Amino acid sequence: MTIAENLFENLRLELRRGCLTLAVLAELRREYYGYTLRKALAQRGLEIDESTLYPLLRRLETQGLLTSEWREEEKRNKRFYRLSSDGEQIFAQLLDEWQAINASINSIL
Amino acid sequence: MELLDRYLQAVKKHLPWQRQDDIIAELKANLESQLEDKEGELGRPLTQGEAEDWLKQLGPPIQVAARYQPQRYLIGPAIFPIYWYVLRLALTWASIIYSIVVAAQLLGGQIPSGDSLLEATLHVPVVLLTTAVWVTLVFVGLEFAVKQCPEKFKGFPLPSSEWSPASLPAVEKVASNGKKPRSYAQAVAELIFGFLFLAWLLLIPQHPYLLMGPGAAYLRVSPFQLAPVWIQVFWCCVAVNIVQLGWHVESLLRGRWQRPQPVKNIVVKAIGLIPLAVLLSARDHASVLLKNPLLDQARLGEVLRNINRAISGVAVLICAIVVIQLVWDFAQMIINANRRRAVAMQ
Repeated sequence: MTIAENLFENLRLELRRGCLTLAVLAELRREYYGYTLRKALAQRGLEIDESTLYPLLRRLETQGLLTSEWREEEKRNKRFYRLSSDGEQIFAQLLDEWQAINASINSIL
Repeated sequence: MELLDRYLQAVKKHLPWQRQDDIIAELKANLESQLEDKEGELGRPLTQGEAEDWLKQLGPPIQVAARYQPQRYLIGPAIFPIYWYVLRLALTWASIIYSIVVAAQLLGGQIPSGDSLLEATLHVPVVLLTTAVWVTLVFVGLEFAVKQCPEKFKGFPLPSSEWSPASLPAVEKVASNGKKPRSYAQAVAELIFGFLFLAWLLLIPQHPYLLMGPGAAYLRVSPFQLAPVWIQVFWCCVAVNIVQLGWHVESLLRGRWQRPQPVKNIVVKAIGLIPLAVLLSARDHASVLLKNPLLDQARLGEVLRNINRAISGVAVLICAIVVIQLVWDFAQMIINANRRRAVAMQ
């Protein structure tokens, strides 16, 4: 990887990091378990590695933005996540922020 | 699938023990669902090679487990700038205090000997390293405390309300020659090399080959020897170096390593003339003598005179060059000062 490619990759990851959190919070207004959430995001064009998404879910839950419960589905125990009430508030604020940034960027461009 | 179980077992070993069963159960459920989908698409179980490729794509177990760990720092980004500032200050003060203690010990005791000065100089890195370790340990402890009790350290390291723009230092003067100002790392590197040079200098009397290389062996067998004036020249060089190092440390301590210091540069050059002046003050400019004058005077007297004449000639030449440089630097300093004054008056 050249220096320019490396730089681009670092900036891309930085840009994606916040967006992924927002996308995960948005998608978890419905209940999902890890793998189906990953598939749902991929179907909407947002591919996330397993090693990024699953720890992110844990982190968001620790921060109180998600709730989870273990439940049996298709003869297998799975951990289902959804947005908590605190998560809903934070998500609404983040969404406003993101839309404002998006509008600013669009007007700049 | 046995390979998946082996993979999960390897991940588990790197997870925090309180949460490892929970994490592995969730990861297993997710990966098994993914595996089912893959096998459903293919209409058959994955071959060994395909399973290996899939797990390889997930990443090495240690990396996967690391993502579940909280971000850890010994010293975090909030505290690091203060740590770096305190470390620089502590290292500078440690150098000064150590130099003062060593100087007091040498002056209070017997005549400074090369060995004791050398020993003290070689001990400098140990002193600096010990200081750095202690400062680092204190800040690691502080980071830990802030992380454990964030309520007690609310607003740490500095509450924003206590900061005032009025407390900012005055704008620093830019180098008149337009050169990039010296960085702290550059100033510290110069200090370290200064100490190393002093150590090298102090080793020369015991190990002349450090200065003369193979020529040192010739000096032992040759009919010539260095005159006693060289001992005075040597200690003058040591003293000049110590003074320069002291100034260097003072610049670092006062945070002035970036500022141009024309007066100090001129003084440093001027005191650099002292060893040369001492050499030239030798009686009859005799900086080299014969080991056995009675035996060799007739045979080597003329050679000796030529050697001494050459040495004193070179010393005079160097003196002249340094004096010209001094005059030039002094003139530049005056011109720059006048320019600044003119600009200020406009």
